[in-house]
Amino acid sequence: MLRDTTALTGRLMKQILRSPDTIITVAITPLALFLLFRYVFGGAIQAPGNYTNYLLPGILLITVASGVAYTALRLFNDRQKGINARFLTMPIGRSAVLWSHVLTSLVSNLVTAAIIVAVGFAIGFRPQASVLGWLGFVGVLVLFTLTLTWLAVIPGLTASTAEGASAFSYPLIFLPFLSSAFVPTETMPGPVRWFAENQPVTPVVESMRALVEGRPVGTNLWIALAWLIALGTLAYAVATHRYAKASR
Amino acid sequence: MTALAIPAGPATGAAAARPITLLTTVQHSLTMAWRGLLKVRRTPEQLIDVTVQPILFTLMFAYLFGGAVAGDVVSYLPTIIPGILVQTVITTSTVTGVQLREDMDKGVFDRFRSLPIARIAPLAGALVADVLRYVIATTLTLVMGLIMGWRPVSVSGTLGAALLVIVCAWALSWIFAFFGVIARSASSVQGISFLILFPLTFLSNAFVPAETLPRWLKAFVDINPVSHVVTAVRGLTSATGGGSDVLFALLGAAVVVAIFAPLAVRGYMRKA
Repeated sequence: MLRDTTALTGRLMKQILRSPDTIITVAITPLALFLLFRYVFGGAIQAPGNYTNYLLPGILLITVASGVAYTALRLFNDRQKGINARFLTMPIGRSAVLWSHVLTSLVSNLVTAAIIVAVGFAIGFRPQASVLGWLGFVGVLVLFTLTLTWLAVIPGLTASTAEGASAFSYPLIFLPFLSSAFVPTETMPGPVRWFAENQPVTPVVESMRALVEGRPVGTNLWIALAWLIALGTLAYAVATHRYAKASR
Repeated sequence: MTALAIPAGPATGAAAARPITLLTTVQHSLTMAWRGLLKVRRTPEQLIDVTVQPILFTLMFAYLFGGAVAGDVVSYLPTIIPGILVQTVITTSTVTGVQLREDMDKGVFDRFRSLPIARIAPLAGALVADVLRYVIATTLTLVMGLIMGWRPVSVSGTLGAALLVIVCAWALSWIFAFFGVIARSASSVQGISFLILFPLTFLSNAFVPAETLPRWLKAFVDINPVSHVVTAVRGLTSATGGGSDVLFALLGAAVVVAIFAPLAVRGYMRKA
């Protein structure tokens, strides 16, 4: 099973290495947003502390949200070309096919995230985190990526068009805007504030922000983990069920 | 029964002999503009950009960033409504070039060439028809602002601001019409347009006061023509009046038309 997953992940990684433009394409929109908010809105928005530090976690989540669209697309393409059907005739662990897509997504999204963080350092990102804080920060980002990737697997397995496979990511990209990713929720009017404070992105952003700035995370981390584990488990169950159904 | 084969080419007989006067050119252009409006009626999804964008942008910027930028939503509206109005309508002007290129790629213009009409009519008609898009985008943005609590000082000032934005967008559409004529594909027109408009609209005073920007960016924002149009619209809809910015915006629009209308027409005539 592990060997199968490694081999299939290697196959997908080769695809990415042959067209590294996908990593650049995924990074462009979040980078544009990062620079736009840092320089155009940064001076006008009343946010606590260093605004680049404030922005970075949300930008990383948008990066992941746009990156997982490619996972859905790769899975859809494999399905359309009949590659998945070929794998079924081989002595390969069935779950290895899905896990290879998930691990490829994780690696490529972390590479893109590293590019964003590097740009962040260049424009004023000044973390105060300890080694443990950094591990927590990366850990939350990894868990967020895994959750969103398993969500992406579902349209990858069910969509009837390439556009349909990747279109699911639009609401995911928009969700950080309706959170504390760009502005504090206290500045939002009633209903918008209520939604922003009770959706999964806000505790994820807040806990990542606290971890990287070396502040106490409070209950945000536990709420974030609860959201991510619950959504991830649900997405995993639906995705594997859909794949098993399609494999019969 | 055999079909009669009529060779494609210039119209023959009486139709060809009839001279194309300025009046007939205007009539033909208006007919082509009507064709553009019929296309919109048949495929109303073409209007998504002018209907959804102003509503979405106004709601998003006001409710998400209003409190953080200006203290509360209503205080942010005098800044954001003119900004979104200019941004939406100017962005809409790119459609002229994209649709022009699509028509040329489909061979529709080859058919027009075989008709006894003024050669400039399809181009002029497209530019006239797109004024409707600007009117829709302008109206929707202003109505959204009013619903959310924005209160411009006078009706005449607001109408003046709306007219100014429409004139500026129409002037800009000549640039995109020129790109539509010379570009290889509709997607490349869209790409070029985005590369021009994204920095012009976002690196302006449309969304935040210029004083809050870093010094190096403020230097660009101050000379950005979009900033002048936004300032003019803000002036016309508030007590300050548009002043020199209105004149600057109109002068800029006139210069753009003076440069790009002949270029677009010449490029079009060469292809048509």
